[in-house]
Amino acid sequence: MSWWSDIVGRRKRADPREEIRGKLRLFRHLLEQNNQVLGLMASAEEKLGGEYIFDRQYLITLAAELGRSVHDAVLDLNAITDGRYLGLTDAVERVRMAVQAVLESRVVAPHSDPVIALDQLEDHPLEVGGEKMRRLAFPHHAADAPSFRVPPGFVISAGACQRLLRQSSIDQEVETLFEANEPATPEQLEMRSKALQRMVLRSRVPRSIARPIRKGVGRLTAQGWPRLAIRSSALGEDAEQSFAGQYETVLGVTSDDVLQAYKQVVASLYSPQVMRYRQERGFHPARGLMAVGCMGLVPARASGVAYSIDPSYPEHDTILVSAAWGLGKTVVEGIDPTDRYHLSRAAPYHATSQTIGHKQRLFTVASPTGVHQTEVPLAERDRPCLSQEELGQIAATLMFLERRMRCAQDMEWAIDAGGQLYLLQSRPLRLSASLSRAERDMSAVADRYPVLSRGRGAVACRGIGAGTVCFVDDATQPRLSRDAVLVARTSGPRLSGAIAGAAAVLTEVGTPTGHLATIAREYRVPTIVDMGGLADTMRDGDAVTVDAEENVVYRGIVHELLRYQLLRTTSFEDTVEYRLLRGLLKRVAPLSLNDPASSRFTPAHCVTYHDIIRFAHEKAVSYFADGSSFQRAARGRHVRRLRLGIPLDLVLVDVGGGCAVVDDRNVTLEQVGSMALRAVLCGLTAPGVWATEPTDMDLNGFISSATRSQVRPGMQVEQNVAIVTDAYLNLSLHLGYHFNVVDCYLSEQRNDNYIYFRFAGGVTEMTRRSRRVALLAQVLEAQDFAVELAGDLICGRIKKIARETMIVRLEMIGRLIGFSRQLDILLRDDSLIEYHVRQFLAQIDDATRGPGGAPAGRLELRTTHRQEREMSAEILVLDDEQIVCDRLKEYLEQREMEVETFTDSRLALERLAERGFDVVVTDLKMNGPTGLDVLRHVRQHNPDTRVIVITGYATIETAKEAEIVGAFDFICKPFQLQEMYTLIKKAAKKARRSS
Amino acid sequence: MSAKGSILLVDDESIVCERLQAALEKAGFEVEAYTESQQAVDRLEQRVFDVVVTDVKMRGPDGLDILHLVQHRSPSTKVVIITGFATVDTAKEAMKSGAVDFIAKPFKISQLRDLVLKLVQAPK
Repeated sequence: MSWWSDIVGRRKRADPREEIRGKLRLFRHLLEQNNQVLGLMASAEEKLGGEYIFDRQYLITLAAELGRSVHDAVLDLNAITDGRYLGLTDAVERVRMAVQAVLESRVVAPHSDPVIALDQLEDHPLEVGGEKMRRLAFPHHAADAPSFRVPPGFVISAGACQRLLRQSSIDQEVETLFEANEPATPEQLEMRSKALQRMVLRSRVPRSIARPIRKGVGRLTAQGWPRLAIRSSALGEDAEQSFAGQYETVLGVTSDDVLQAYKQVVASLYSPQVMRYRQERGFHPARGLMAVGCMGLVPARASGVAYSIDPSYPEHDTILVSAAWGLGKTVVEGIDPTDRYHLSRAAPYHATSQTIGHKQRLFTVASPTGVHQTEVPLAERDRPCLSQEELGQIAATLMFLERRMRCAQDMEWAIDAGGQLYLLQSRPLRLSASLSRAERDMSAVADRYPVLSRGRGAVACRGIGAGTVCFVDDATQPRLSRDAVLVARTSGPRLSGAIAGAAAVLTEVGTPTGHLATIAREYRVPTIVDMGGLADTMRDGDAVTVDAEENVVYRGIVHELLRYQLLRTTSFEDTVEYRLLRGLLKRVAPLSLNDPASSRFTPAHCVTYHDIIRFAHEKAVSYFADGSSFQRAARGRHVRRLRLGIPLDLVLVDVGGGCAVVDDRNVTLEQVGSMALRAVLCGLTAPGVWATEPTDMDLNGFISSATRSQVRPGMQVEQNVAIVTDAYLNLSLHLGYHFNVVDCYLSEQRNDNYIYFRFAGGVTEMTRRSRRVALLAQVLEAQDFAVELAGDLICGRIKKIARETMIVRLEMIGRLIGFSRQLDILLRDDSLIEYHVRQFLAQIDDATRGPGGAPAGRLELRTTHRQEREMSAEILVLDDEQIVCDRLKEYLEQREMEVETFTDSRLALERLAERGFDVVVTDLKMNGPTGLDVLRHVRQHNPDTRVIVITGYATIETAKEAEIVGAFDFICKPFQLQEMYTLIKKAAKKARRSS
Repeated sequence: MSAKGSILLVDDESIVCERLQAALEKAGFEVEAYTESQQAVDRLEQRVFDVVVTDVKMRGPDGLDILHLVQHRSPSTKVVIITGFATVDTAKEAMKSGAVDFIAKPFKISQLRDLVLKLVQAPK
């Protein structure tokens, strides 16, 4: 692209140094755009939890800001690479238009098969089958599912509808008819409705759709369902229409007239009342789409509707069932008197009252087609349609649905001659302003029920749930009772399976944008994440109520809140703005470009803004990282060699702030300003982690590794590169055949921080490589990473964590890279994976947690791995926490030290009077004689003994005080055992020397 | 149980009115909400509220008009401005005109609720 380089490089070509500086500036700018996009996406995802109020303007602004940042990043990339990726601008435009379509509420059906069996609908996005059908597609293996069935059937997808309209040019006709911008008058709507409906009824159903429909019908007939019910299942805003009866339903359809019935239902998209309704709501009158359900028509003995709470008298707390003989048409259309039953909402659902209607007419399935009205035999007219048992089944079904959907339910049911109950339709029961202001006031609840937690963590999904506490961890999948409130230590993906049936979920760690949060929102399970330790607040079996709207957890079952939720009139997830946000995020956030080595890593394959920014970021990094003319030109100033104590050469590309300014080709670790890089290398070079010889190799492994790797272990084949700024790190390590990438942003701002870790390859053959990947996956998940696997490639991601936690995780990754380098050889079979995972986790646990329990922030950097000679010394440890004493004692004794521990400072002083020690380690805060008292005593009576004080707060005052009183040094809680040990050794050496 | 206080909400986006009303009622307040600012202005002539929460950019009278009206008619009423177009200048103008706080959209419901709770508890 010489014209491009002309533009960019013309004036700069004269000064290669300026060109380099310019490109580095562009790279920093690109990094900023990258962070900006990721940040906007994460912040938008957080809004899905419901804690925020946002409006259309927010969505419009969000779309604009995302578009702008992505656009700028693409410009930066092309400026850096001299125009190598101009095709990326097409991708940006594609996504921008898709986002625009969402904001204009233009419905676009996702790609799918034209016909999908009802029991497989669950795996598809909502927009494939529409709301109505989706509600009928749920698993029946739930432990507490009552004995109802759904008639078998299939869905003709929204995509099929779109294809029908397109192929018959109906969509074009719509645009022509509605070309004018202003709203159509009722007369115009009538005329256009007639024209469009005629077109639909006359159209030919494309063979690609007609064939699977006929096959589906054939299958139903063979299964014993010769007659069908064809029902609309609209998308999005029109979903309500589906239920309001504004769309067509055709009953009694046979295989001969199924296609015509399909067209009839689709044509109702253009009925005058539908178009008028849409126009009133601000949508285009005729751009709707629908899926259509074809289900077996139940030859009903009796049918009707049922409400899980009587909408006219919600305060009575009763279920209302209406029933008639034959098909439900009678009840739904209010044609004739019906039976009305009121039942208790609590099992066994006793009837509280009933009115038996004088039923005269009924509808049955007729031959050859359609539905047929007859007279009810005299004997049946005043007989109840339903037995007590059948009423109980209907009630149980209602309550099951209510629990599952978390709101009052309105269902249509039928019972066949054999007494089998069928669910035909269900939807939320919208109650109009049924609660008085006083009943909407929940402010006194906190007075009546103890508050276990308030404002801790973040809300991942709104709602109110109550039940019994059940602690789970990611290793076990317990059998959960109904109404369990899950309390989890982590929010890793393994828990996802347990979520759907839970009353509520609380997690100790995690984020509202993580995987578990997404699943929770999908199933609408009230969820609060990142609450910190909960073991002290609640126990297994406790009854609690989680109000995830206010972020409060109460002890006990708060019936007022449950009722409040049951009878509320609107739900956040049903608002237009929520749907728009979800739709927008779908076009923006999902990442399909995962593997830069794959042939699909191209601009043409970019589907979302996330894909584009990922591509741009990756390609920009490659430009600087691949041994290229850039590196040659920039050597010595921005590109240096990092010298470490292990046989690993690392090229350091300093984009700005990543290195102490030194005009030298070589730097040492101490001169590296990037804390992220230091953390990773600290882990990589920790003792015992980087093995220069494979530790234990069986013959097979040896042979295969000898023949494949043509280099000595430890010698790199390709260049290892670290690109750093003060906060950013991109580290790629080629170790033999292993390829690691660590990309992270480490700053004071928790929200900006993230780590991305990629690992691929291995020394031995494929099965061992995958084993190693399985191990890595387990370790990463245990550390709260979101993990994706593909063959021998593993990607782990974590974001929005505090700086201190970041450092700990990065060090762990350094260790993981080193540790797993030769692990291939060791992993003879899968059963060893568990063992190695535990080993490794114990290692990092040891190294990164102090006795205080929380990860420490300081790191000990090692530039060599020379075996330190163990030193024998006599130590006294004084701390009022027994656990501190125990752990320290264990650790020090393993290293040949002699240790006595005390939790009582008086006893410690007595002991000090009896014998001398090399080092005394004492906490400052003690009961009775304080640490300072002990310190003074020791200074006075055993001047050779060195004293190390442990303090909770590292303040200037403490430091000054400790100095004045003569401590050797001080260390803060929580501390690393490793760190304490080093300090003790130093102190002991001094003590020995002076005595 | 009597209400903790009375609130007038004005925002031309119905989603804002609906969600905020629900949240504030849950917290124990008596709430009236209007998406037509003129109706809100008319209501202000009839009744004194403890707190007025209003958007800035609206059809008809805008948030600053409402602010000035309240300052004039019932100076004890506290006015909170919420807006999607938060600029430093608008903020300064609002605060100078006597708004008690200025919150940019999108905002956490709990944030506004806690603010309102604080406002009704403070001495007039």
